[in-house]
Amino acid sequence: MNEIFNGILQAINLILTLNPEVVEITTRTLFISLSATFIGAIISIPIGGLINFKKFRGKRSLINLIQTLYSLPTVLVGLFVFLLLSQSGIFGDLRLLFTPTGMIIGQIILIMPILIGFTITALKSVGNDIIDLSISMGASEFQAIYTIMREAKYAIMAAVILGFGRAISEVGVAIMIGGNIRGFTRVITTTISLETSKGNLEISIALGIILLGIALIINLLLNQIQEH
Amino acid sequence: MNILELTGISKKYDKETLRNLNLKIKKGANLGLIGPTGCGKTTLLRIIDLLENPDSGKIIFKDINVLNCSKKDKMNVRRKIGMVFQKPVVFRGTVMENVSYGPKIRGQDKNAITEKIIETLKSLGLDGYEDRNASSLSGGETQRMALARVLINEPELLVLDEPTANLDPLSTEKIESVILGLKKKETTIIMATHDLIQGQRLCEEIAILNHEILQIGPPEDVFSKPKNRFVADFVGVKNILQGHAEVTSEGLSTVNTGSLTIYSSESLKGSVHVSIRPEDITLSLDKVKTSALNEFKGEISEIRKQGALVNVKISVSNEFFMVYMTRKSFLDMELTIGSPVWIQFKASAVHVFR
Repeated sequence: MNEIFNGILQAINLILTLNPEVVEITTRTLFISLSATFIGAIISIPIGGLINFKKFRGKRSLINLIQTLYSLPTVLVGLFVFLLLSQSGIFGDLRLLFTPTGMIIGQIILIMPILIGFTITALKSVGNDIIDLSISMGASEFQAIYTIMREAKYAIMAAVILGFGRAISEVGVAIMIGGNIRGFTRVITTTISLETSKGNLEISIALGIILLGIALIINLLLNQIQEH
Repeated sequence: MNILELTGISKKYDKETLRNLNLKIKKGANLGLIGPTGCGKTTLLRIIDLLENPDSGKIIFKDINVLNCSKKDKMNVRRKIGMVFQKPVVFRGTVMENVSYGPKIRGQDKNAITEKIIETLKSLGLDGYEDRNASSLSGGETQRMALARVLINEPELLVLDEPTANLDPLSTEKIESVILGLKKKETTIIMATHDLIQGQRLCEEIAILNHEILQIGPPEDVFSKPKNRFVADFVGVKNILQGHAEVTSEGLSTVNTGSLTIYSSESLKGSVHVSIRPEDITLSLDKVKTSALNEFKGEISEIRKQGALVNVKISVSNEFFMVYMTRKSFLDMELTIGSPVWIQFKASAVHVFR
């Protein structure tokens, strides 16, 4: 018990003194997950729009599939991307394995189902009467879609924030694609798992507190959006 | 010039909502669409607004065959039509953002028409509302904003689906006065309403709709000369009797209801209905010397006071007639249930229809 209490005190110390390693790991974590979320959103929101607005055979099944992929185990995505990026994989020549870039790609693939699926839900929940109004007022197809996306703005934002939450808190992809290399691909989650098993509680707790803090901020943001 | 021609429009959901409907609307016309619940009013308006396609039929807007044209042409036609829905709808944002939606999608510079928007809002009693959050408006305010939202685009055809239904009196008054003001602009208006009196007040022509157009014409015609039993019942025509009509040589017809023979100056042969407006029937205690061809003896079966008037129901043989009289006359004649009376009405007051 004493050890844990000491660990907490030292963790707070690490944070308050802006310990270089803590800062470095936190910065890298934010960079990787924010990039993945940003790029993922740019790709996924239009795809979500396309799936929602177009009529095609198998639409129901596709949406079901996407929703099933929400809670895909992160190690499976890690495995999948590993196979793609490894020496014998299709993209092996790009040498992205064990790099931050590879991790970004992995996280993009991980959160795309959430981003696409929740975008579709957000768009579907825009009432038919709003769609009727846009068309009745003479909006072109493009203008009508833009209008609907604007109406679903907050719901789509919530989807993006949720995606970020999943990206930043996962371990499977980060550890398998990144390899947890000190000074290069170590992120908060992978560091916590490594250092805890080594018995270095202070840094684990410090990073844990930071991760909790980020989760709290995410929650506050989501609540703000809910109000709209 | 007809701005809109609908031919053979049919639409079925689980039951036939519209059945071979034909309608021609002249430019600048002001048409009221009246019918019972479920008659297909909203469906018809949505089809006119090009929000839905009919199952069959043709729609011609000015010269364009709307069901058979390019997407761009259809969009341009939609831009000339403005519709206010029965249930108020708002976009996210302020009143200004809502009302400037039309100009925005037409590529107009928002700043150039800001003044026009403010003017339009003012005419609907919404001055100062520009920066208000549109979803915070009351039902009446929202409908007024919705009307402003379509009027700003100067539509050639204005389609209104029960625009004042369930609204507060101020909103109703503002909306009605704006609609009346549109007559000067030569805007063609089609308005669905439940309210016969509003229809009479605002519209130059009325169409009675029950899955198809049953009668169309000026309110006076529709309300006092119904073409068929449905219209008669719906507009509340009183004193409807059924019988067999034969045309006599003097330009009159006689209608035999089985218990009475009634003279009418209209000529329609065969199995018919007749209606006589209560205001056209006079009542007396004794037989009088009158030019009216129809005179019958009967007795009072029901008395109902209605403000300054008294509704008296008189039974004549097996038929019933409703007559209105002033309270004074009623009291002067000392009438009660069972009082024997004579009723008279002219042949010209008897409207004959199928």
